[in-house]
Amino acid sequence: MNLFWKVAATALVGAALGLGATALTVARGFGFDIVQAGPWRAMPQVPATGGDPYARAAVARSGRAPLGSAEGLGFTAVVDSAGTKLNASCDYRIAGAMPSARFWTLTVTDTKGHLVVSEGPARRAGFTSSEIVRDAKGDFEIRLAREARPGNWLPLAPGVFTLALRLYDSPHSLSAGVLDASEMPVISRERCAS
Amino acid sequence: MKHKRFLSRPLEALTWLAAILCVAGLVHLSTILVMPRIAPNTSFARIAALGPPNKLVLLPALEPGREILPFEDPATAIAACPYDLARGPVRLRGQLTTDALVLLSFHGRYGQTFYAMTDRSALRGRVDVVVATRDQLDDIEANDAEDELPQELRLESPARQGFILLRALAERPSLMGEARDRLSSLTCEG
Repeated sequence: MNLFWKVAATALVGAALGLGATALTVARGFGFDIVQAGPWRAMPQVPATGGDPYARAAVARSGRAPLGSAEGLGFTAVVDSAGTKLNASCDYRIAGAMPSARFWTLTVTDTKGHLVVSEGPARRAGFTSSEIVRDAKGDFEIRLAREARPGNWLPLAPGVFTLALRLYDSPHSLSAGVLDASEMPVISRERCAS
Repeated sequence: MKHKRFLSRPLEALTWLAAILCVAGLVHLSTILVMPRIAPNTSFARIAALGPPNKLVLLPALEPGREILPFEDPATAIAACPYDLARGPVRLRGQLTTDALVLLSFHGRYGQTFYAMTDRSALRGRVDVVVATRDQLDDIEANDAEDELPQELRLESPARQGFILLRALAERPSLMGEARDRLSSLTCEG
């Protein structure tokens, strides 16, 4: 093999590896300063100056318009609190703490952030904090299942799904990194269809 | 001779491997950095495709598979004002009459959120924001009356083009119409 081919092969393999790494990090939304609280991962924010170039690239590629920090915080979860991938063949229960915010919403989407249609008359894609039925102590419980459940039921469509939690007008901020798992709602898996 | 070959081969392979990693690192870092400029379907591209610049457009209700932007909240009405400052600043104005949640964010063409606010930071519900380039802001300031504070909020856009995104929360599905009305009562003009 002469030198020309060695250089060409090096450039080609190097470029392929570099592009592969970019595709992978951008698709999975990796960044330096991802905030994770239990199963919840903060949605990227893209400030005017500074900020994480990986978050910037992932946001540009996905076509989303991120919330500014003055508007609120967004989180997504693709796993339950035990770390198992969310899948509509199981039922889930979401309860526990909720960080303070003027309003919050919880939405079911697919992994690319698109809404999913569930069969049947219940076309609900999410709950807002005003709609939730609470118990006497003010606690809430949301049930995710393909079939109707009493209480706050969020219907699921078959397949894997993503949960999106938004805290609007919240005093919390990502840069402070103050949220930990105990302050966030717990996603517990219940019965699974065999 | 044979002995020498044995030693130089792994060393040479290692050198080429290091060269491959250097190229990979360079390609990776540079593509990450230029991604906001070369990505084909950014939020700006999606919103600019909705209509002429400097006009407020109400986005259609979120329907599975037909969303204009991914990762939006189905409990919100969404409107956008794509802008182009080539012929002067753009101004977002209006009066919010209720205490319902309205979110405003200002995005440069390459995706940076250069300002964000909620209805709570609008004084008595009055929204009056001017987005301009640095030069246009200098012009505006030069014409300011000496003894008067400007009534509007002035923002410097990091790029000539960008968009303002407006979201209004419908606390219940039945309030979605009201949320959409809240947004369409605002105007965006260049």
